[in-house]
Amino acid sequence: MGFLHRHRGFVPYLLLGPGLGFLALFFVVPTYYLANTSLQEGSAEVGYVFTWAWDNYGDAIATYDEHLIRSLLYAGVATVVALAVSYPLAYWIAFHGGRWKSVLLLIVIAPFFVTYLIRTLAWQSILADDSVVVEVLRAIGVLGDGERLLATSTAVVAGITYNFLPFMALPLYASLEQIDGRLIEAAEDLYASRFQAFLRVTLPLSLPGVFAGTLLTFIPAAGDFVNAELLGTPREAMIGNVIQSKFLVITDYGQAAALSFVLMAAILVLVALYSRTLGTERLTG
Amino acid sequence: MIRKNTGRRVLTAYSLVALAYLMLPIAVVVLFSFNDPAGRFNYTWQGFTLDHWTNPFGVPGLRDAIVVSLEIAALASLVATVLGTLIAMALVRYRFRARGATNLLIFLPMTTPEVVLGASLLTLFLNLGVSTGFWTIFIAHVMFDISFVVVTVKARIVGFDRHLEEAAMDLGATPFTTFRKVTLPLIAPGIVAGTLIAFALSVDDFVITNFNAGATVTFPLYVWGAARVGVPPEVNVIGTTIFAVALAAMLLNVLRQKGAAR
Amino acid sequence: MTRPLTRRDLLERAALGGAALTLPGFLAACGGDGIEAEGTTEATTTAVARELAETLRFSNWPLYIDIDEETKKRPTLDQFTEQTGVEVQYIEDVNDNDEWFGKNRAALSQGQGIDRDLTVLTDWMAGRMVRLGYTQKLDRSAIPNASNLVEALASPGFDPNRDYSMPWQSGMTGIGYDPRRTGGPVTSLSQLLDDPKLKGKVTFLTEMPDTMGLMLQLDGSDPVKVDTAAFDKAIDRLQAAVDSGQIRQFTGNDYSGLLARGDVWACVAWSGDMVQLQLDNPQLEFVIPDEGGMIWTDNMLIPTGGDVFTASTFMNFVYDPKIAAQIAAYVNYISPVEGAKEEAEKLDPELAANQLIFPDEDTLTKVKIFDAEAADDTELKEKFQAVVGA
Repeated sequence: MGFLHRHRGFVPYLLLGPGLGFLALFFVVPTYYLANTSLQEGSAEVGYVFTWAWDNYGDAIATYDEHLIRSLLYAGVATVVALAVSYPLAYWIAFHGGRWKSVLLLIVIAPFFVTYLIRTLAWQSILADDSVVVEVLRAIGVLGDGERLLATSTAVVAGITYNFLPFMALPLYASLEQIDGRLIEAAEDLYASRFQAFLRVTLPLSLPGVFAGTLLTFIPAAGDFVNAELLGTPREAMIGNVIQSKFLVITDYGQAAALSFVLMAAILVLVALYSRTLGTERLTG
Repeated sequence: MIRKNTGRRVLTAYSLVALAYLMLPIAVVVLFSFNDPAGRFNYTWQGFTLDHWTNPFGVPGLRDAIVVSLEIAALASLVATVLGTLIAMALVRYRFRARGATNLLIFLPMTTPEVVLGASLLTLFLNLGVSTGFWTIFIAHVMFDISFVVVTVKARIVGFDRHLEEAAMDLGATPFTTFRKVTLPLIAPGIVAGTLIAFALSVDDFVITNFNAGATVTFPLYVWGAARVGVPPEVNVIGTTIFAVALAAMLLNVLRQKGAAR
Repeated sequence: MTRPLTRRDLLERAALGGAALTLPGFLAACGGDGIEAEGTTEATTTAVARELAETLRFSNWPLYIDIDEETKKRPTLDQFTEQTGVEVQYIEDVNDNDEWFGKNRAALSQGQGIDRDLTVLTDWMAGRMVRLGYTQKLDRSAIPNASNLVEALASPGFDPNRDYSMPWQSGMTGIGYDPRRTGGPVTSLSQLLDDPKLKGKVTFLTEMPDTMGLMLQLDGSDPVKVDTAAFDKAIDRLQAAVDSGQIRQFTGNDYSGLLARGDVWACVAWSGDMVQLQLDNPQLEFVIPDEGGMIWTDNMLIPTGGDVFTASTFMNFVYDPKIAAQIAAYVNYISPVEGAKEEAEKLDPELAANQLIFPDEDTLTKVKIFDAEAADDTELKEKFQAVVGA
């Protein structure tokens, strides 16, 4: 206790120094350029001029509000589904994985070895209109006769969920693995049912993992564009697609930058609300 | 007792299904690595062949791309893990004035769309006169990896019982020894999780890498380029192989421990 | 002669003229405008350095040059090195025109080089590069083989005198479809837009020049010089087809997987893709729509900072019909070199007869080039992007 107290003021800055320094140079500075760009007007043809173009922001929000909301919605649904799928899996690996934990964790990140595009194209063939999956769904009545899975919002959300699943599973695992099995035993000794023990002991203790997992899933998912591009129709276009288009095709860097900041702001607001609800103190120490 | 077992069986069954779901696209990839298309597209099953397996690096440029990707991923995930873990420790353990700002700074890279982040970073490199290539990719990857590591490791440190540290120090251990022998092993799973995420992100990144790669080609860059004209089955072979090798290494490790335990 | 003639000089002469080492050639090399040594005081007014660089840095699209399946090397590049002594650093980093521009614009706009001598970009992007001054003029005197350029591509709107570019390969845009699924031939774009049987089984391309080029022609309007009113009308028609669900998606070339698997029955497609698809799915057909199709060309350009002489020498090399045939035989797109078809016949008669790789005059009259300036017009692009969804 003594050391921690004596050098309390100094140590954190030492710990933060290298990492934050790195980010300061390679993230903050580029973000400053980006902010500067967001107030510029122009295109690749005519060049870019700094004109305090606040219009970029106004237009961004006005024209693309639908895309923004859709992105947050898709990311949100994907996060919830990812949580539902990952939690039992992470629990199983943490508590019953035994020696095989490292192997199982590797399987969890296996999809990343075949690149994003290949994974998503594989889903394109798995969810094809006359694939086994779709046939089964039609047989059990989930899908109507003429309906399809590909090029729908379902496919897009399913794609997002799949691609970000490891980001949910790994932090959950890290948090769950820490929980002392004896606490659960103690609860059961005190006449709690298994479910109650889970609800009252395991779940609360795993909340930091839930918090981390939802953030690592929701935040990048909101800016995704690959799934909407390959698995969706124009009606499913997300804000990420708009930003790609503005930047690369239209070369309106001002608008692209403004849209990016709007997205970032929207995400941060949601994250702030979310952590407030869960109770930050307990989660971040 | 019976209820406990069925509960556990359901959990196991469910988890296996979840793992199968995770591996489903991989299964497709593995399957099509054995395909024998006449053309350049690998979309419909034509016939079985081992040709691509006997000569996986037959396609020019593929081997170099893989090597570069793995090198960068290994380096970047390591550096990001070190930097990120230090930040996570600071954020969880200490009260300091810049805490809110630090948290914000950690979240921001994750919220920024890759296309603008990549382009802005490129602008920075241009202005600094740094020529793009291996090291600029490395820097970019470390940059976006740090946040993910911090968030993951923090979750683990939060639940860590400080009394264990205090006990160690009461028994005469220096802070450094305490960290090394008590703290570090106990938060290790969190650090490993963070490193895995960082590695996965790095080996898979396309957009930011595309902007900052110069003439260097990484595996995702290669694949995204090849997809335009048809991804050769050799790519499927490579992806499968990397995973299989890593899996085999892990399995061997596990079996070795099992032997040692006896 | 300013310095002793070296073997390399002779090789260069041979490469440039495609001529054998004849006595006149030898004498010419000894006399007159011999290769200028660097730093010589006998500088002539032709200030262009005419010395080959050690390396040619060449940016190209993936699988856009011949590869020997056995040795996994690139014969054309190796032959070039043999003949000129210039090593080729071949980088397949052009995946998409916009993406390529997006990452190189910053350096180019500041007048900096991008560490490349040669790059290959599609018509409208080449036009943009020329307009913005990001390219350098070719050394035409180093490209006598330029006379082999097919007439049809000799004078495009964006570079009327071919001062800045030379075509690399061309491709056609038309309709790709599966007759087994469509229940018969598809001959017009209107079927894709209106036929209720094809609802939800149709895709169009995200590339505006291709999609809108076909749409405009459907309406009788000429895409060579885009009329804004006609464009707007076509946009509305396209939007209607999207809203009704007739058009399933806008795709890049991932339509090929959808077509092969039957998720898509008819789509706007590229000739080169169809050649590959037909190898494994022979039932697929490619047609130029009745109302007209599109032809586009990928062009070799010398970006700022590139070595003009070396790049031009390479351009000359690939305009030799033998080399051109070699490239087309592997790449399976349309060669811009006159005489390549005849050479290809010697290599592979079936290939030479393929209309998609060596189209005859008849086919070529049915395809148009899209207005390069309109392809880069921000307003038009925004209207199209709005339909595509982003």
